[in-house]
Amino acid sequence: MACHSPYRAPPHINAPPDQGFLWNIFQRVDKDRSGVISDTELQQALSNGTWTPFNPVTVRSIISMFDRENKGGVNFNEFAGVWKYITDWQNIFRTYDRDNSGFIDKIELKQALTGFGYRLSDQFYGTLIEKFDRQRKGQVAFDDFIQCCIVLQRLTDVFRRYDTDQDGWIQVSYEQYLSMVFNIV
Amino acid sequence: YSVTKKLYSHRQTSNVRRPLVCYEPQRVSLTGAVCVQTQGYPGGGNPPPNAPYGGGRGPYGAPPSAPYGGAAGPQGSPYGGYGAPGQGGQYGQRPGGASGGPYAGYGGQPHAGPYGQHTPTGNIPPGVNPEAYQWFYTVDTDRSGFINLKELKQALVNSNWSAFNDETCLMMINMFDKTRSGQIDLFGFSALWDFMQRWRAMFQQYDRDRSGSISGTELHQALAQMGYNLSPQFSETLVRRFAVPGMRPGIQLDRFIQVCTQLQTMTQVFRERDTNMTGNIRINYEDFLSGAVTRLM
Repeated sequence: MACHSPYRAPPHINAPPDQGFLWNIFQRVDKDRSGVISDTELQQALSNGTWTPFNPVTVRSIISMFDRENKGGVNFNEFAGVWKYITDWQNIFRTYDRDNSGFIDKIELKQALTGFGYRLSDQFYGTLIEKFDRQRKGQVAFDDFIQCCIVLQRLTDVFRRYDTDQDGWIQVSYEQYLSMVFNIV
Repeated sequence: YSVTKKLYSHRQTSNVRRPLVCYEPQRVSLTGAVCVQTQGYPGGGNPPPNAPYGGGRGPYGAPPSAPYGGAAGPQGSPYGGYGAPGQGGQYGQRPGGASGGPYAGYGGQPHAGPYGQHTPTGNIPPGVNPEAYQWFYTVDTDRSGFINLKELKQALVNSNWSAFNDETCLMMINMFDKTRSGQIDLFGFSALWDFMQRWRAMFQQYDRDRSGSISGTELHQALAQMGYNLSPQFSETLVRRFAVPGMRPGIQLDRFIQVCTQLQTMTQVFRERDTNMTGNIRINYEDFLSGAVTRLM
């Protein structure tokens, strides 16, 4: 049953763009010329393919991933990582948004996450759509898809740390449990 | 999802989301008294309106058999575990005295907002807190009849004048948005108002040194008084995690509300699985995921 791990992190695609290209973008995004791209600046630069603002929680998640000194934004070096991260997700999203609707429905979400190595029940895919679909369309847009994947990955990572025998079950105390979930909020 | 296209384009719709942080005393924010740090806390010595989950009250109080405290969440709110201390996010509450009283000097009357509109003076619908009613039209800057994340965020300010964080605003909108539209109507706003007032009073009560933020020690004391049985290290970790870089250590009102509300929710999730009340649970991967995904966000 537990011959291989039920969960795995999403793959990362490569091909780094050149520095001049990135610098150009960085300067356009860094509106106040502070040398650091803030949440707001990044949010304004991103589009989720619909006319709604890019999910601020996704923006925060991404920035905090690359913001090493905890300064509330990313400098140029860190921005290279942000850029690659977002374009990687963009490629993944395009792959699974087969009908090019700009949204991923439950079946496409299942295909995507199964492709990453997750093994989850159909019911749970329904839960994910319901939770991450900010636009109430029964499907998730690009920004919400990223957020969904980030949350899943964080929860999976923290679960794994306790699941030392890799059988998909853990035993935890109350405080351990709280620490686990507070780790990802 | 045209990241590239948008990043390329020079002129973007300057979709300004900056909170209208206000330094002038006459620009009172929704969080009123907390902002006016220099004046001290007018209600400092007062107990909170209704003692939240005092000592041995309720089934999960002090008795040693219970391995964890954390009073049962109120059942009224749409997300079960969420809710204010005491009565929780129920709609149609009586406009309790909590809001006006000790903070009357600050949050009392909403002044004409930055957009200078008039506050309507119609009949206040039953069950709506009159103060919340007044504020609603100031906060609803686009006059849509609903308050969205952006509008709420602009209206809420911490005691150090920082804007409320997105997660807390989003969490509160989800709690009081009955229609799942991502915005709240007047009734939801009134419930949110009462919720905020209670947490604000709690925050002031537990900010023992009146620093304007809650330290790890203060959070530990607060959680212990609420009935949670957690180690001091747990509170320290939480505070470290949610403290804003570059600011003095400690958490502001927004994070305090977020932490306490989520603690309540996650305690509820744990309890549902700890049927024998041993303080330990065995949980599988998907159950763990779904507990966190459905209840935490």
